[in-house]
Amino acid sequence: MTMLGGLVGLPLLGAVAMLLVPRDAARASRRLALAVLGLTALFAGMVFVHYPQAAIEDHGYRMVTRVPGLGAPALGIECRFGVDGLNVGLLLMGALVAWAAAACARDVHERSKEFYFLLLLMTGGILGAFASLDLFFFYFFHELALVPTFIMIGVWGRGEDRSTAAYQMTLYLSAGALLVLIGLVGVYLQVPAQLRTFDIPTLTQYFRENPLPADAQAWLYPLLLFGFGILVSLWPFHAWAPTGYASAPAATAMLHAGVLKKFGLYGLMRVAQPWMPQGAQDWMPMLAGLALGNLLYGGWVAMREQNLGRLLGYASVAHMGFVFLGLAAWNAIGVTGAVVVMVAHGFLAAVSFALVGHLYGQAGTLSMDRWSGLGRVMPFWGAIFTMAALAGCGLPGFVNFVGEVTVLFGLWQVPELRWVTVGALFGALVVGAVYMLRAVRQVVHGAPSQTATRGVDLLGWQQRWPYALLVAILLFLGWFPQVLVSRVEPAVAGLIPRELTAVVTLRVE
Amino acid sequence: MKWEALLWWILLLPLGAAAWITLGTLRQPRRSAALSVGAALGSFVLSVIFWKLNGWTSGSVSVSWWQVGPWAVTFDLQVDPLSLLMLLVVTGVGSVIHVYSIGYMRGDPGFSRYFACLSLFMFSMLGIVLAGNFLQMFVFWELVGVSSYLLIGHWFERPSAAEAARKAFITNRIGDLGFLSGLLLIWGLTGTLDFNRLEEQWPARMADLGALATLAGLLVFCGVVGKSAQFPLHVWLPDAMEGPTPVSALIHAATMVAAGVYLLCRVFFLFTPEALTVVAWTGGWTALMAALIAIQQDDIKRVLAYSTLSQLGYMVLGVGLGAPAAGMFHLVTHAFFKALLFLGAGSVIVALHHEQHIWRMGGLWRRMPVTFWTFLVGTLALSGAWPLSGFFSKDALLAVAWERNLPLFLLAVGVAALTSFYMFRLVWVAFGGSARQDGAGHAAEPGQEMLWPLRILAALSIGAGVIGIQAMLQATLPGLEGAQASAGWARLVEPFHHAPVPAAAGLIAMLAGLVLAWRMYGQAGEDPVAQHWPRLARWLRQRMYWDELYNGTVGAFHEACAALAAGVERWIIQGFCHGLLKGGTAVLGETVRLVQSGSLQTYGWVFVAGLGVLLWWVLGP
Repeated sequence: MTMLGGLVGLPLLGAVAMLLVPRDAARASRRLALAVLGLTALFAGMVFVHYPQAAIEDHGYRMVTRVPGLGAPALGIECRFGVDGLNVGLLLMGALVAWAAAACARDVHERSKEFYFLLLLMTGGILGAFASLDLFFFYFFHELALVPTFIMIGVWGRGEDRSTAAYQMTLYLSAGALLVLIGLVGVYLQVPAQLRTFDIPTLTQYFRENPLPADAQAWLYPLLLFGFGILVSLWPFHAWAPTGYASAPAATAMLHAGVLKKFGLYGLMRVAQPWMPQGAQDWMPMLAGLALGNLLYGGWVAMREQNLGRLLGYASVAHMGFVFLGLAAWNAIGVTGAVVVMVAHGFLAAVSFALVGHLYGQAGTLSMDRWSGLGRVMPFWGAIFTMAALAGCGLPGFVNFVGEVTVLFGLWQVPELRWVTVGALFGALVVGAVYMLRAVRQVVHGAPSQTATRGVDLLGWQQRWPYALLVAILLFLGWFPQVLVSRVEPAVAGLIPRELTAVVTLRVE
Repeated sequence: MKWEALLWWILLLPLGAAAWITLGTLRQPRRSAALSVGAALGSFVLSVIFWKLNGWTSGSVSVSWWQVGPWAVTFDLQVDPLSLLMLLVVTGVGSVIHVYSIGYMRGDPGFSRYFACLSLFMFSMLGIVLAGNFLQMFVFWELVGVSSYLLIGHWFERPSAAEAARKAFITNRIGDLGFLSGLLLIWGLTGTLDFNRLEEQWPARMADLGALATLAGLLVFCGVVGKSAQFPLHVWLPDAMEGPTPVSALIHAATMVAAGVYLLCRVFFLFTPEALTVVAWTGGWTALMAALIAIQQDDIKRVLAYSTLSQLGYMVLGVGLGAPAAGMFHLVTHAFFKALLFLGAGSVIVALHHEQHIWRMGGLWRRMPVTFWTFLVGTLALSGAWPLSGFFSKDALLAVAWERNLPLFLLAVGVAALTSFYMFRLVWVAFGGSARQDGAGHAAEPGQEMLWPLRILAALSIGAGVIGIQAMLQATLPGLEGAQASAGWARLVEPFHHAPVPAAAGLIAMLAGLVLAWRMYGQAGEDPVAQHWPRLARWLRQRMYWDELYNGTVGAFHEACAALAAGVERWIIQGFCHGLLKGGTAVLGETVRLVQSGSLQTYGWVFVAGLGVLLWWVLGP
């Protein structure tokens, strides 16, 4: 199938084409980026729709596409793409968010050609990382997406301290990526030389049949856990996220918080957990505890935060807690819920940071005490912001709720984690509502302030469609979650041991 | 069941209206109102048709919602006499209040938004009524919470309204924390959340589950405590009066807050005797406390709000005493007369240009006769005057208490006296005497679209006690076994036959309250309680200081957690970790710098060595 190849290839080809756009053609670069990403989104939609009919080709992967010429066969490196339930939703989400992100980059006027070039490169990297079936390209594409992030924050970011933010983010994320690299190399070396390959399905099969020795798992698993964890702002390695997102230009924050960050979770799900079940089992209580840290601690800090960008950054840190909890549960319900949360949070983070970007564009500040009564001054913005806040505190009707509640049900199945579940419930229902509604109260409600009266709402369909699209998807999947769940669930069932797919009933002594 | 598809229409019509208004007619107030009112009326008519076709039937329609392996979440539309009754009440009272809203909200800048939210509320509430499993119930439970949030905060520019909306939502969320935990516990114990399947399994397992069964019941009850504003989570409801008055009537009196009682009746089988004792005392204490606070409120809507709390306490008390039928009966009659009272208050508020302080009213009975007489009917029904509807439902509750728990019976009779006392205080002060201020002297009746709802609800408040609701509930739920099914006029005096003591006690209490209120407030120029017992008055006016207590304890604790986390974030995570990271990088950088000597020879050697290692690795042994 070439659909998948097109999905990854298009943004990268678009990036190359962008180099050919003359510098003085001011709007051409934006149009090109929008067209390319629109087409990419269309491809992603087609992949998602066709997925159930496509034949299963290799270890449960469908639409497997080999890119000829890329790779080093002698080393066992081969660029192959494929989709299964874990990444089909993420690819769709990534492509749609990238399209919306480009649309929301309206206020980038300086060096817009370079900006859109980096945006396309980042999108290509993200989609490539999620689609790759090869460990080498999986890592390579992630790095390809990461580097533009740093540059975009440093050059087009907002606020005085954007270079500090970019620096800090670079340090953290590079450290995480380095740990992952060490871990992956370590795992690779555990395979006997004649069987060595970078092919993920083959490796998964191999490790299922020949489990890694316990002592190897004991030191390799934490490397991957914390490496991938840092990339997803696992508590207490989350400090880069709020600062970075508050300083990043809207499009970059949307793409990174929404999509690229999910790479760490995807890596844990795809590589670390299935390859090292023993390590995962040993570290499970620790992971659950740290995830609870994300949820509660992130939420509490968000309660005190005065900068809207940072507040949403902490909210995003908190939401990652659900995914980690689903991974800690490591049963069919929990992991399916985790994947749903990943997709849901992608759309939500995108719409949140787009809103923040528009607000910053109005008066150059995100400090919440400067804004008030925006529901009157900017009704469309206020309505979307309220919806995003409600989705963020897990209101039913939005797909975030479906994911979160599924995770909680999965977590409840693990007897050791009962108390963690109760803590997570508290974080989800109470703490989440407190900080989200506080933001609505301060920014949307109340009498319009001096700053607010200067705000201009999002006007016309050209400005509104990305927001409408993202919220519509959140609502659609919220009421018809089976569209997503039915694709995710079989893949998850194939990922984890059979005995963990059943519903366990509590036994009473 | 015939015509099952009707159920989908009943549920989805209001949602359609909400969506259409939001997307299409925000700038066309007339069309928005037409859509919303049309949807509510449509749901009502369809509910009546469904009921006429099927009678008090049972059955359910079920579709798969989402499914992970064997864990399947379904979307059910469950119909049984209980949900049918609730369906008729919600759509009926809802339609009347929708019509009233057209008049009340006329000229409001957020007119269309108001009707969109009202329709969203109708959808969510109907979802609760028709839910056939716990998770679906929870979904709609939260959705009514958010509609309530949006409607309380309708005038969001007013800080008080915005704060009230937030408080309502968060307080409800605290209750829902218990609710969802209970749901998980039940699911963990039985593997199902379906009401029918639980009803088959649960009673048999209750004995071996022991304390866990009680715990499950109490956790579910937490949700009820939040939604039905029972002590200790009652603090949000009085503040919710910041919303438009029709909203107070529909959501914060007649339907949504009653959803908690409805849930208790729906899953009554879940509760162990121990759990029921807690339920009963929670309800009883809420009834008493709210009635006490109500006697010193001066805002017309706040008096009614505390009265609602108190009556909800009655209903919960009824369920706790093992008589869900009695609680449900009171729910229905209360929906009529409390909606009537709120709408009457609304027409007074409109006539006085948003004046709500009762001591600035007076003499309204002469200038607003329809409002006055219907308000009086509501007051009499609420106080339990024979032969109005409130008498019968309250008597059913008293009769149960008389039979099963004497202390609670005495408490309930005391609350009945307080009820009539604070209600007639309100009537004498607001409507009686002569106008205390200019505004009250120039008050005039509102338009017909606001008066007809009053008349309709007044008729229902008078008659609902004897139109057969009791007999229907008797056949459905436990708790009304004592009452004899009698026909015609015999129904009017039936309570005096089967349980004369509670009936007489209720009436005497009501008369005592009435007389006392007349003695104290009949000609009063200012509040005698505040004059003679200032400390008591202040304590009651400050709502017994519950808000202050919560702010000082729970609120402060949560803020302290947040402050602690923020401090750790700032000084430890941002400070220490960054230092470590930066320091580490600096050391690394220094090391690397040794290699980056700038000497071409060294580079050459490193290059060759690297190439060698790579070749060895690829072509290797």
